[in-house]
Amino acid sequence: MSPDGINLAHGLGGAKDLPISPELAIAGATAALVVSFTVLAVAWRNPRYDAATSGRPAPDWIVAIVDSTWWRVLWRVVGFVVFLYVGAAAIFGKDLVINPVFGVFYVWWWVGLVPLSLLFGPVWKAISPVRTINLGFAKISGSDPDTGVFTYPERLGHWPAAVGLFAFVWLELVYPYSTEIGPVRLWCAAYVAVMLVGGALFGNTFYEKADPFEVYSTLVSRMSVWGRRDDVLLIRSPLANLDATPVRPGLIGVVAVLFGSTAFDSFKDSAHWVKFVQNHEGLSGYAWNNLGLLTFCVAVGAIFATGTMLTGLGDDLKRRELPNLFAHSVVPIVVGYVVAHYLSYLVEVGQLTLIQLSDPFSNGSNYLGTGNLQVSYWLSYHPTLLANTKVVAVVAGHVLGVIAAHDRAIRILPRRHQLTGQLPLLFAMIAFTVGGLYLLFAA
Amino acid sequence: MRRPLAALAVILSTLTFVSACGSDEAPSSSSTDPKVIQITIDGDSVTPNGDRVDVAVGQDVELDVTADAPGEIHVHSSPEQEFEYEAGDSTFTIKGIDQPGIVVVESHTLEKTIVQLEVK
Repeated sequence: MSPDGINLAHGLGGAKDLPISPELAIAGATAALVVSFTVLAVAWRNPRYDAATSGRPAPDWIVAIVDSTWWRVLWRVVGFVVFLYVGAAAIFGKDLVINPVFGVFYVWWWVGLVPLSLLFGPVWKAISPVRTINLGFAKISGSDPDTGVFTYPERLGHWPAAVGLFAFVWLELVYPYSTEIGPVRLWCAAYVAVMLVGGALFGNTFYEKADPFEVYSTLVSRMSVWGRRDDVLLIRSPLANLDATPVRPGLIGVVAVLFGSTAFDSFKDSAHWVKFVQNHEGLSGYAWNNLGLLTFCVAVGAIFATGTMLTGLGDDLKRRELPNLFAHSVVPIVVGYVVAHYLSYLVEVGQLTLIQLSDPFSNGSNYLGTGNLQVSYWLSYHPTLLANTKVVAVVAGHVLGVIAAHDRAIRILPRRHQLTGQLPLLFAMIAFTVGGLYLLFAA
Repeated sequence: MRRPLAALAVILSTLTFVSACGSDEAPSSSSTDPKVIQITIDGDSVTPNGDRVDVAVGQDVELDVTADAPGEIHVHSSPEQEFEYEAGDSTFTIKGIDQPGIVVVESHTLEKTIVQLEVK
């Protein structure tokens, strides 16, 4: 029983990574800086990525598998069986930290979706139990799961997903009782309820635009090699794939919450913040953490939006459209920082979760046969390798982000503003990366 | 695409080179004296109040607790450890931690971080 959520690492306990060394942080920051201006100076002058033509059709045998009914059904069944199994642990399991619900919720679901989507494409869309239930309802009533009673309002875009993602990170990072079963169960019940009502009202479009997990997973899958155009499965370079990300209202909100919250997770464990919060008794630690999380997300959004908007424009664009037109370029930065921040957590608590899953009701059973496995802490025992991996991930994410933004800039900005127009955005990205490295060093 | 990629390769290799220089000190022996941390818990306040403390891998940590009321201290190592103390003076030993990382030592009763052990 551990109701002391406030100071637990990422909501679940255990030791955390060592900070990276100052030498490594400075080397990473220097690399990011140099690459940024190198890209600006020597990269191509005509846009390379065109969603209408990029990529080539996937080989027939892959298409035959992926587009077959049995393949789709298989993953729907896998997703639903896991959903029922973990749901049973949530409803009938005990309120102990060894209940696998916490690991599945905070580690497999939240962090695990990122590598899965990078490798296999929009994974959550394929296994989402809420989509499956919606499909089941449609089959029973003889309606079309893609359409609902109403048309999804275009203006809403991804904003509901941004709100949903914020609700998740709030529960994980701020809410003091995040490792008690009641709040997690309530959060999941609310998620399922909102998704089912939304699906009934607006059809599958709702999941595509408003399901926080599907939006997150599909956005990350834009950095995989798997794409689709007019229902044709494509293989294309991750950067070309990323460039084809649909521009929708609220995209900037989604990336701001994703990056801001990960940065705050680093920041809230730093000795500075812990001491500050504990020395300022006027406001509770809970209130400070609320304020901190919100400030990080809003600041990331504001810095990025300002960076995109400080440019000269042609007549064909409105200034306030720019943040969403560039928002896809934050995705690699988010992925790089997620790797840096959650790699050891995913590997180690992820294994622990697999072990705990074998005993969902905490009564000593071993349903899956994984109950006697041991967690390998190999990664934690190699702190230098871990630190190097983190910095390489952050710098690589930064480089890809800068290239994505560069290609978009030369496509949409008038030629005379292309160089100067990119500078403010470049500074914003450098600020994110150097700030992220600083947090890894100071955490 | 080729030139930026070449530049990237150069920079990443520089990075590896730079980072290779500044790491991997000799592993410290576990036979060193224990690190002693004096902890005072008085009402709602705790000293130290969230400080970082460097600890060698394998080094024992001794917590000397002076408290005005009984309570509980949690050590967020992997796996976690808990100590219950009574009012007055008590002493606990955290056995040498051999997994490098940050371990939070927390007053469970006050929900405050006492120290963060930087094990390396």
